[in-house]
Amino acid sequence: MNLYQPHLMRICEITDETVDTRTMKLEFKDPAVAESFQFAAGQFGEYSVFGEGESTFCIASPATRKGYIECSFKASGKVTQALRRLAVGDTVGFRGPYGNHFPLDLMKGKNIVFIAGGIGLAPVRSVIWTVLDQRDQFNDVIIVYGARSVGDLVYKRELEEWSNRSDVKLVTTVDPGGETPEWKGMVARVPTAVEQSVTNTENTFAVICGPPIMIKFTLPVLTKLGFPEERIYTTLENRMKCGLGKCGRCNIGRTYVCKDGPVFTAAQIRQMPQEF
Amino acid sequence: MTNRFLSHENLSKLVADLAAAKTRVIAPVRTNDDAAQIDYLPIQKLEEASFGVRLPRRSAKEFFLPATDVLLKYRYEKDGFEIESVPTTAKPQVILGPSPCDVAATEIVDKVMNWDYRDELWFGRREATTIVSMLCSMMDATCFCTAVGLGPDAVRGSDAMLVPVEGGYVVRVVTAKGESLLKNYVTDQVSDALNTQAEKAGAEARKKVEANMPAIPAAFAESLGRNFDHPLWKTMALRCHGCGACASVCPTCHCFDIVDEHNDAEHGVRRRNWDSCQTARFTVHTSGHNPRGSQTERFRQRVEHKFSIYPSRFGEILCTGCGRCSRICPGGMNLAEVVGEFRSLATAAPEGGAQ
Repeated sequence: MNLYQPHLMRICEITDETVDTRTMKLEFKDPAVAESFQFAAGQFGEYSVFGEGESTFCIASPATRKGYIECSFKASGKVTQALRRLAVGDTVGFRGPYGNHFPLDLMKGKNIVFIAGGIGLAPVRSVIWTVLDQRDQFNDVIIVYGARSVGDLVYKRELEEWSNRSDVKLVTTVDPGGETPEWKGMVARVPTAVEQSVTNTENTFAVICGPPIMIKFTLPVLTKLGFPEERIYTTLENRMKCGLGKCGRCNIGRTYVCKDGPVFTAAQIRQMPQEF
Repeated sequence: MTNRFLSHENLSKLVADLAAAKTRVIAPVRTNDDAAQIDYLPIQKLEEASFGVRLPRRSAKEFFLPATDVLLKYRYEKDGFEIESVPTTAKPQVILGPSPCDVAATEIVDKVMNWDYRDELWFGRREATTIVSMLCSMMDATCFCTAVGLGPDAVRGSDAMLVPVEGGYVVRVVTAKGESLLKNYVTDQVSDALNTQAEKAGAEARKKVEANMPAIPAAFAESLGRNFDHPLWKTMALRCHGCGACASVCPTCHCFDIVDEHNDAEHGVRRRNWDSCQTARFTVHTSGHNPRGSQTERFRQRVEHKFSIYPSRFGEILCTGCGRCSRICPGGMNLAEVVGEFRSLATAAPEGGAQ
């Protein structure tokens, strides 16, 4: 078995998040792999549909829950469209986990502000549940989540669950024009929602993921609120094939997203050449 | 490293013995009688090989990283897809008479192939291969191996190197693998005259290449990185067609794509194919966003990868100065000139000024 040979996984649950975004729960077919498989929140993998190829996404499920992984994807390319055609019981391939992870050890005993936009909640959700599964080890948890419209919000059942928890402060927001008559959350873009919801930055880490435009306008807000760049973590995406530092396409200058990342601090990103 | 002597007759016998033992022997072979066109190809007897004519069109990398390589086979069974693994060990093979630039490349690429994760397919073939290189006498104005720390007489990556002398070859035995392949064919006694002849041939060959380009200093990697936004990239890239021919013929370009290929609905293979950072599709996201959206960025990537990124990650230049990319480029681009331009910038101004 070589590096590029995936584990076989069985699709055991499919959840439609939005019109075009779907979450799949996958179980390892080999019980020995299911037993030994471990990962950390923020890591990614290469998911494959046999006959169509491989695609790179994060592991969206928490590192604290064993025996399965989840991925959330938008049917947009060749592999993701093929993945969408599969049903419960079908077989897919998975190679991983690859890359670095969010530094939860550093965040223990501290406050965490999670900020996500659209499907960018997928990697953040892995960290959120990993933290909530060990809730007593962390201080205040704030989640600011936004999407273009109510229909674009993903993990709606979990948003409900987080909003009902007393140990989590959840702020949901949709862009102006994206609200429905029943919408009870904010109507504002993510940077505005962050500015209005986050007050304390002392002993606080920020974890942010979303479309580049959201990150671009949220970073100055975080700086203004008082977050040093070293305490703002995000996860980058680039086209990948191997995930192992060999195929040569995900680098930004000297930085390989697959090996050095995908998790970086805002300080690290500022030092990269502007080629992403 | 010990010097031995190998007669023409014994080299011929070695090839015949290997062929009889069904060991694949690869050597430079003339593939077009009118033009001096040379390719690395399997041979059965020594007469089929043509040494010292000119550099083969493609490097020897395909014997370790084939242009297309099966990573796994899959088939549909009643419980879903099953995978059939491909072997990670390879049959023994001997590469006879490759140029030192092509041989050194394998050792340079070893570093990325072993970067935390070991690429067993690459190393399976590396371990199964014995390389007996030959002193290069085929240099032209495009070569610059001596500028990147190598040379026409460099033994890096070779298990043994042959230096043509009167009546045969002075053999520089480098590794135990080389020793074991050649021990029954060489004699230990090498006359001083032959040793001197071999030394002289090496020194003269070096001198010819050294005249093409002065050695690239280690500091060049850093200065090239600092010139990431220099307007020169744009001017230079205007000639680039984005065809990727440079990467195909390059001994150190190792980037690849992974694709599935189905034979029918229930059977297929997953393949690794050579790819090139010069094509627009290489980095394009599904959303349509492309971090290297113009040829300027793609051309810069190839040069930066070789002379700045790889040195910063692995401590050495990802180029052996073979000159193939410059000879094949339909746009007439010349890597030595590109390096030269940025070297002169490095000594003039550190940051990108106006053109």
